[in-house]
This record gives sequence, C-alpha cells and structure tokens, in this order.
Amino acid sequence: MIAELVLATLFGLLLLGIHRKIIARIQRRPGPPVWQEILHMLKFSFKTTWIPKTASPVLFVGVVLIAIGIWTAAFYVLVSGGSLLVILGIYLLHKIVEHGFGLSSGSPYGKYGGVRSVISAASEIPLFVSIAVIAAYTHSLEIARIMEYQEAAGPLLITAFPAAGAMFLVILSKMPFGPFSIVESKELVSGYKTEHFGIWRAGLEICNGLKTFVLLGVFLGVFIGPLSLPLLLLGMIVLVVILAFACAVTPMMSPFDSVTIQMLVTGGMLVYAAFVLAVVHP
Amino acid sequence: MADLIGGIPLFVLEFGDELVYFTPYTITLFLLALTFTLLVLISRPERQIDIAFGGDAYRAKEITVAEMRFRRFMAIACGLATMGAMVTGDIFNFTLFTAMVGITNVGIVAAVKSRHVQDAAYQYGLVALAATVPLFAGAAVYAAVTGSLSMIELMKGTVPAVPLIAKGMLVLGVIGEGMAPFYAAKAEMFRAPGAPYVIMCSLSSLLIFLRVVEIVMLG
Repeated sequence: MIAELVLATLFGLLLLGIHRKIIARIQRRPGPPVWQEILHMLKFSFKTTWIPKTASPVLFVGVVLIAIGIWTAAFYVLVSGGSLLVILGIYLLHKIVEHGFGLSSGSPYGKYGGVRSVISAASEIPLFVSIAVIAAYTHSLEIARIMEYQEAAGPLLITAFPAAGAMFLVILSKMPFGPFSIVESKELVSGYKTEHFGIWRAGLEICNGLKTFVLLGVFLGVFIGPLSLPLLLLGMIVLVVILAFACAVTPMMSPFDSVTIQMLVTGGMLVYAAFVLAVVHP
Repeated sequence: MADLIGGIPLFVLEFGDELVYFTPYTITLFLLALTFTLLVLISRPERQIDIAFGGDAYRAKEITVAEMRFRRFMAIACGLATMGAMVTGDIFNFTLFTAMVGITNVGIVAAVKSRHVQDAAYQYGLVALAATVPLFAGAAVYAAVTGSLSMIELMKGTVPAVPLIAKGMLVLGVIGEGMAPFYAAKAEMFRAPGAPYVIMCSLSSLLIFLRVVEIVMLG
C-alpha cells in the first residue's frame, strides 16, 4: 500500500508539472520541465527548516501532518471503492487545512489567504449537488457500486452530464493558476502557503500531489466507470490537459466574482437536481 | 441503506432512550473533531503581524493570558459540542449540539478587541440565532411524523417516511450555523488572531454539515 501511495503522489506531482507546462506553452513561454513539481518536493525536503517566531508552533507543524493524513485516507477510500461521502468530507476538510496553513504563521499574507479560503467555500456546494444526483441515479454512494452501475447502464458522464460539469468546476477550483485560485494569488505572495518552507513545504507538495491524483481518480471512477490502470492514468492526463487549457485562457477572478460564479453554478445545479429527483428518478 | 449513509453502525451505546452510535463515517468525523480539539488544548496562539499599508511599519498583535484562557475554553467547548453532534443517535440532541456550536463560535471571537471582528461576530450571531428556528422546527416535524427521534429507528425503516420539508428545515438550520451562502460574516471573524481557536469556528460548521448530510439520508 505504501508503494502505491508513493507512486500516486509522484504521478500527481507529474500531473501538476504537465499542467504548468501546458499553461506555459499556451502563453508562449517555455515553462518548467514536467517533472519540476517532483523536483520541488525533493528540493524542499533537504532545505533548511525552522518555524517562524510569530507562528503557533503546534498548529504550524500539525496542519502539515493532517493535510498528508486526510489525503492518504482519501486515497485509501478511492482504492478500496469506499464511500463518496467520506471523500466529500475530506475535500471539505482540506479547506480547514488551508485555514490552518494561512492563519498559523501570523503572516498577513497567509492570513488573507486563509480568509479567502473561507470565502471560497462556495465552491463546495456544486459538489454536494453532484453527489445528490449520483445517489439518485445509482442508489448508492459507494464508489465501487457506482462503478458497477456504470458497467451496466453506461457512463454517468453522458446520463448526468451537468453533475459531471459541476464536479469538473470543483476540481478546477483546486488547480493552481486557475480562475478560482484566489487563495494563492500573487498579490498575497503565495497566499496561505507563504510562510511554510523547507520540509513543511515538501509536506504540502506531497499533499497536493495526492490530492490531484485522488480528485481526478474520483472524477473518472464516478463519471466514466471502472478503468484499467493504463486507461486511468491516460484519463487523468487528458483531464489535466483540459484543465490546463481552462486555466491558461481564463484570468484569475476577483474573490467576489469567483464566489458569484460558483453560486450561480450552484443555483443551476439545484434546479437540475430537483428535475432529476422529481422527473427522472422520482 | 448502509450504502447511502456512512456504513453499518459498528458500535451502539445506550443511555436509557439516548443513543450514541459509531459508523465508519461518524468515527472519521469524530476523530477529526477530537484531533483539532487536542490541537486547541496544546497549541499556543500565533502572534499575528499587521502591516500599515503605504509604509514599512508593522506590529505584532498580542493576546493577553486572560483573553487566551477564555477563548481556549470556548474553543474546547465548541470541540466537545461538535464531537457530541458527530456521535449522537438522537435528532433532538443533534440540534442541541448544533445550536451550542453556534453559541461557542460567537464566544471564540467575542473577547477579541477589534471592531471588525466584533461586528462580524454580532452579524454571525444573528444569522445563527435565526437558523435555530428551522433547525428545531425540523426536529419537531421529525418527531410529529415518525413518533421517534432515534436515528437507529429511522435507519431500520420501521417508522413512516420523513417529509422532505422536515429534512429541508434541518439542513437549512445547519447551513445557517455557518455554511455557504450564510458564511460571509464568518469569513470576517477569521481576521481575529488565535489561529488554533478560530479554526474551530470553521471546522465545527463543516463537520455538523457533513453529519446532517448523513442524517437526512435516513428515513
């Protein structure tokens, strides 16, 4: 299991590297090599590390361990075909991790990253609605059962396309350099992660790699169905290419606009979920 | 049913007609609430830095020992209420714990001497107070329709189906305690120093929301 965890982390970091490379090429820059995020993680692992004098030391360190812990648990849930509710819970708790990173250092940049993270909680609501629609179609929230349903009835990507679109938006909101990446925008230096450096940043990189792998894996499992390992990895790369195009051609929004668009999508999704629950699967 | 909710109950503890039960889902939520409550217990607050924009001046905000003690007490109370809401098997107890989370959230920032934070806490308190109306009304409709507030009874499917309006009111009540779109004032509360305590405001709202998602799928 540890080997799978390490490979998933490295592949997740590779996906983030591909994401950066594609954005750079679309913007006519050479961009870093695709393995840059893996190099970042290794580099930070061996850099000098300390805790800022103004930080809350236990929280400053503890939140890194919690970040790795929750996404390790999410990876285990994905591999074992466990409950989508637990994945939802972990996704929400990542928000708390962002708060913890931002607020624990005492830095004003980190603090505003943390505050923006609270504001951007609106991005989670389309996920709730997607899950309600999935439950209406499949009568289950177990990932394994949802995959079985799709083997028999075809991919939910086609039958429940708006739900897939909403979940795609949720993943987009978690990708770096995207239209909704207000928690780490450049006017806040690096936002919530500004003060975490050295081994703490390496831990955050590990968390980001795992998070990317898990979210893309959940999307493919829930909306495409069971895939062999090579097809799963290929599917993740295709998704990252699409996400990179979306990030490259869209400017980062202001916090107000970001929340407004997410709330509008949520409104549309609520109408769709009501239609599914009342008409398609009463 | 176990597919839809957080799995089959692994352990049920009965106190007369009061029930506490653990599923894989609620254990996960309970352990997270416990972890962050322990962090509150052992963490010291950070020294938040304020920058005077337009110049090079900055200053560190100090938290007095008396203020820290009060806020830590409220954060621990919030953690305990959240843990209660995660494991209770009684819908009325869940609503009580949820209301207590709202009160303790205001308490966590009430001692902060900042006008911004005090205003935000006041506005949040009003929303949370208003949200208790649908919250308790939802629980009352549950009791009126099913004759039971036990989640185990709802899970068994031996009681009449719960109307959608009751579930909606319960969810609305929980959302009013600090989820989108009623969380705007809460974001301002995060300006307060004392990260280990302030985080409990957000964590408690998220966890009770995750629990109510499970509850409305019962019955």
